[in-house]
Amino acid sequence: MTIKEVKIKIDDKEVTVPSNWTVIKACHENGVDVPHYCYHPDLSIAGNCRICMVGVKGAPRPVVACAQPITENMEVTTKGKDIEEARKSVMEFLLINHPLDCPECDQSGECRLQNYSYTYGRDHGRFHEEKVVKSKATMGPHVKYWGSRCIVCTRCVRFTDEVSGTGDLGVIYRGDKSEIALFPGKTLDNPLSLNTVDICPVGALVSSDFLFQTRVWNLHSRPSMCSDCAVGCNTRVDMDTKNAIKRIVPRRNDQVNKEWMCDYGRLSFPYVQENRLMKPMVDGKDAPYKDARKAAAELLQRKNTVVLVSAWNSNEAFAAVKEFVEQNLPGAGIAGYANTGRADEVFPGFTISGDKNPNRKGMREILGIDADASLKELAADKEAIGTLLLMHNIPGYAITPELKAVLDRTESVILMDLAKTDLLKYGNVAVALPTLSTFEKSGTFVNKDGIHQKFLPVMEPANFGRHEVEMMHDLGREIKSQADAGAAANGHGAAGGMKVKA
Amino acid sequence: MADAQTPAAAPTPAPAPEPKPKVPFSPILLKHINEPDSHTLAHYAARGGYETAKAHIGITVPGDLIKLVDDSGLRGRGGAGFPTGKKWSFLAKGTGKPIYLAVNGDESEPGTFKDRYILERDPHQLVEGVILTCYAIGSKHAFIYLRGEFILGYQRLEAAVQEAKAKGYVGKKIFGKDADLTITVVRGAGAYICGEETGMLSSIEGGRGYPKIKPPFPAVSGLFGCPTIVNNVETISAVVHIVKNGPAWHKQWGTEKSPGFKIFCLSGAVKKPGIYEVPLGITMREMIEVHGGGLKDGRKLKAVIPGGLSAPVLTAEMVDKCTLDYESLASLGSMLGSGGITVLDEEVDMISAIYNTMRFYHHESCGQCTPCREGTGWLEKVAHRFHHNDGHQGDVELLGDIAKNMRGRTICVLADAAAMPMQSYLQHFKKDFEAKVKETAFVEKQRTYRDEITPTAKSITATGAGPSALDVGSNQGSR
Repeated sequence: MTIKEVKIKIDDKEVTVPSNWTVIKACHENGVDVPHYCYHPDLSIAGNCRICMVGVKGAPRPVVACAQPITENMEVTTKGKDIEEARKSVMEFLLINHPLDCPECDQSGECRLQNYSYTYGRDHGRFHEEKVVKSKATMGPHVKYWGSRCIVCTRCVRFTDEVSGTGDLGVIYRGDKSEIALFPGKTLDNPLSLNTVDICPVGALVSSDFLFQTRVWNLHSRPSMCSDCAVGCNTRVDMDTKNAIKRIVPRRNDQVNKEWMCDYGRLSFPYVQENRLMKPMVDGKDAPYKDARKAAAELLQRKNTVVLVSAWNSNEAFAAVKEFVEQNLPGAGIAGYANTGRADEVFPGFTISGDKNPNRKGMREILGIDADASLKELAADKEAIGTLLLMHNIPGYAITPELKAVLDRTESVILMDLAKTDLLKYGNVAVALPTLSTFEKSGTFVNKDGIHQKFLPVMEPANFGRHEVEMMHDLGREIKSQADAGAAANGHGAAGGMKVKA
Repeated sequence: MADAQTPAAAPTPAPAPEPKPKVPFSPILLKHINEPDSHTLAHYAARGGYETAKAHIGITVPGDLIKLVDDSGLRGRGGAGFPTGKKWSFLAKGTGKPIYLAVNGDESEPGTFKDRYILERDPHQLVEGVILTCYAIGSKHAFIYLRGEFILGYQRLEAAVQEAKAKGYVGKKIFGKDADLTITVVRGAGAYICGEETGMLSSIEGGRGYPKIKPPFPAVSGLFGCPTIVNNVETISAVVHIVKNGPAWHKQWGTEKSPGFKIFCLSGAVKKPGIYEVPLGITMREMIEVHGGGLKDGRKLKAVIPGGLSAPVLTAEMVDKCTLDYESLASLGSMLGSGGITVLDEEVDMISAIYNTMRFYHHESCGQCTPCREGTGWLEKVAHRFHHNDGHQGDVELLGDIAKNMRGRTICVLADAAAMPMQSYLQHFKKDFEAKVKETAFVEKQRTYRDEITPTAKSITATGAGPSALDVGSNQGSR
C-alpha cells in the first residue's frame, strides 16, 4: 500500500495526515486528546481497553480510535454525548473490580485510572457486589505485580513479545479473573524489564527499587540524558525534596531511544551520592582549590607531560583540553582511553550498546583520537612520563592492564575524578581534583549514531567539584601567571603582580 | 457463537412467508447417521461418497464452484447467516500468501449439538466438503477446529482424514489431479470464545483464544496473517450436496432469502428433544408440536430461546408468529443463530434461567475487552442476587444499563451475546424481576451480604452441603 497524505476532519478542523496512521495517532499528533490505556505508539494495537471511543461519520456507533485506519475525507468527532457515554461506561467497568487502594498504591499521582476518572468517572458507585481479588507476584528482580489493580491492557505482554522479545509474560485465567503472569520457568529478568513498569497505565506493575520510596507528588523532575552507554537515552530524572535522585525514567526521543531505556541506566544513579571525591587533594591531603591548582600547574610544566582523557568526558571538556595543550603545553601529548566494553545486547525493539562510554564519537570528532588505539599506543611506549593529567570521570571503573602500564611509568598523576576510586590509591596521585557527574554539569555527548545531544545539570553538586572546562581554563591561567612570575623574577617581565594578556 | 447485531427492538409482526410450492423433504446431511458404521469410508463410498469431489477436482473451474455455491443462496450455519458464496468471493487475491480454510467445529453455543453428529457419524461428508471448498477457494491447507470435549468426534474425524489420505483424496495430487490438500484437525481446550471465528484462528495459531480486531477480516488477513475462509461444519457439509445437485435443487426448499435446509437442535421441555433437519421457513410451532411432539406433561409454553443461548428470548405469543428462517427471527428481535432451540415451559423460573445464562457468559468471557470482562461478571452478580430474592430498588434499571453499556463496544460479539438475553428477558419478563425487588434501595453491607447468601467454607462445614450450600454463588472463582 502506498502511503499518501490524506485530508480528514477532526472535530470540524481539517488536517492532513499520512494514510497509514490510525485515528488516535492523527488526533494525538494534532493536539486532540483521546484517552487511552492499551494503546502505545511503539507497540502493536490490542484495542482491548475500549476507552478511546470516537465518532466516525457513517459508523453506526462509536469506534475505537486506536484500531481505526484513516480513510480519505473521514470525519472524526471526539466529543459528543454518545462518545462521552461510551467512555464513561468503560471507566465504570474498569473501576468496579479495581481495589481503589490509591492511598497505598505506588502509581497514585501518575495513574491513568485516576486521571481519567476525573473526566469520565461517575460521582457515585453502582457496584454493590463483592470485588474480584487477584494475585500478587514478584515478576523479576526489579518488577512486582499487584493483580487486583491490573486492567489487563496487555501492554506489558506486548512489550515482552515485541520489544524485549523475551516473551516472559502472558495472560492467565479468563474473564474478570484474567491476570498477568510469567510463563512457567521464566522470570522477568531481562535488562529491559523496568519498561513494563513505565508503560503500565495503572499500579499493577511496580518497580521494586522505587516501591514505597516516596509519593510521586513529592518528586520534581528535570530532563537529562543517560551516560551509561553509547546510546545516550533521553531521560527524566525524578528527585525528592532533598534533591536525592529517586528514579530515572526514559523520555521520548524517536531518533534515539523511542520511549525505552535499559535497567542498567535506570539504576546507575547511586554513584552520584556514593563515595564521592569531595574536595581537592594535594599529596593525599585535602587542600583548597587554589593550592591544588597551583600544584597542578607546576607539575604540568615539567618534562614529558601527557594529558589522558576518557571517553566519558563531554565535547566541551575535550575542546578545553585541546585549547589548553595548544596554548600552554605545546610539547605535551593528548591521549584517550575508554571504559571497558562488552558485546551489544540486541533485542528486537531495542539495542543496549556494549560500548559503555557516552562520548567515544565526540572524542574522535574533537580530538581526532580513537580511544582504544590511543591507550594501546601510549601503553606500548616505553618512555617515562613526567606528569599525567588524567581526566577520568568513569564511575565503577576497573583499571585495565594498559592503563596500569601507563601509570607504572608515570612520576606524578594529576587526577580529575568523581569518586575515591582505586585510581586514587594506585597511581602516584600528586593532585586530585573533584569533578561533577553528568547529573551535575552541562555538556554535549555524541552517541553511537553520531547524534549530538546536550545535557543540563539536574541537581546541585554533591561535592565541591568543578566543571572540566573551568578547571582547564584555571590551569591555563595559573601556568601563564607562573610563567609571568618567573619572567618577572628574572627581570624580563612587567614588574609586580599578574600580567594580563590582551 | 451468535454473530448477529440485531437490536432487541419491539417485536413487529413477521412478514407472511413466501408462498412456495411445498416440496417433500427428507433429511440430507443427517440421512445416514443412524446406520451402523456410517463413519467409515466403506460406508460412505457405498452411498456415492467422494464421487462429487472426483467429478469436480481438476475438472471444474474453481470460480464456477464459487458461483454455484453463491447461486444456491447457502448461508452460514454457524450463527451469523452470512452468504457463503459471497464470503468466498471476498477472499484477497494475488497476495502471494497461502490461502487457508478453517472449519469451525467448536460448537460451544449452549443448546446446540448438530455438528457433533456430523463429526461422529458422518465425518467423510465433512472431509469431502473440505476438499471441494479448498479446491473452490484455492486453498492447499485446511484446518478443522474441534472443541476439546469432542473426543469421539475427534477420533472419527481424524480416522476419516487418514482413510481419505490413504485413498489419495487428501494429500499430494488428490484424485490424480494437479491439486494438493492437507487437512489438519486441531482440538480446542474447552473455551466458548474459540468458537468465535477470530478467537478460533488465534487458538489454531497456538495463542490464547483472544478474538482479533476486525478489520482486517479473515478473508484478507486471517490465520497466520494469510487470507482465510472460516465456515461452520454444517455449511461445509452442505456444500457437497449443493455441488452434487445444483443450486436449483437447494433453492426448492426454504424461503426467498433463506433457501435450503438446516439442522435444528431441539431441547428443553419437549417430548422428543433431538436434532431435526428441516427446510428453512417452517413454523416454530411445527418444530415444537410436530417434530418435538409437543410439550412434556401437557405443560404450557412460556418462552423459547430460538438460536442458541445468546439469542434473545421469544415469548409464547411471539412463537406463534415465528417461522424458522433468518428474516422472521430478525423481525422478532431475535436470531436464528446456530439453530439451538430451547423450549421453556410455564414452570421455568425466568430469573433462574437468566442467572444461569449470565453465569455461563461470565465464565466464558475471554477477558480481553473491558466492557465484557467486567460487565459479564457484574450482570451475573446482580442476577445472582435476584435469584436469591435480593433485588433492590434500581437494580432492574441497573441490569438494563449494564447490558446497554456492553453492547457493540467490544472486539467480538460475546458481550452482545451476554447482553442480548438480559435485555430481552428484561423486556419480556420484567414482572418476574420486579417481583423479586425489595422496597428498599441497596444498603452497603457487602460483608454480611456474602455471609447471608453465599455460604462460606465455615458454614458448609457447619451445616453440611444442603441445597443452598451447593449453590456456590458468584464469587466462588474469585478467591
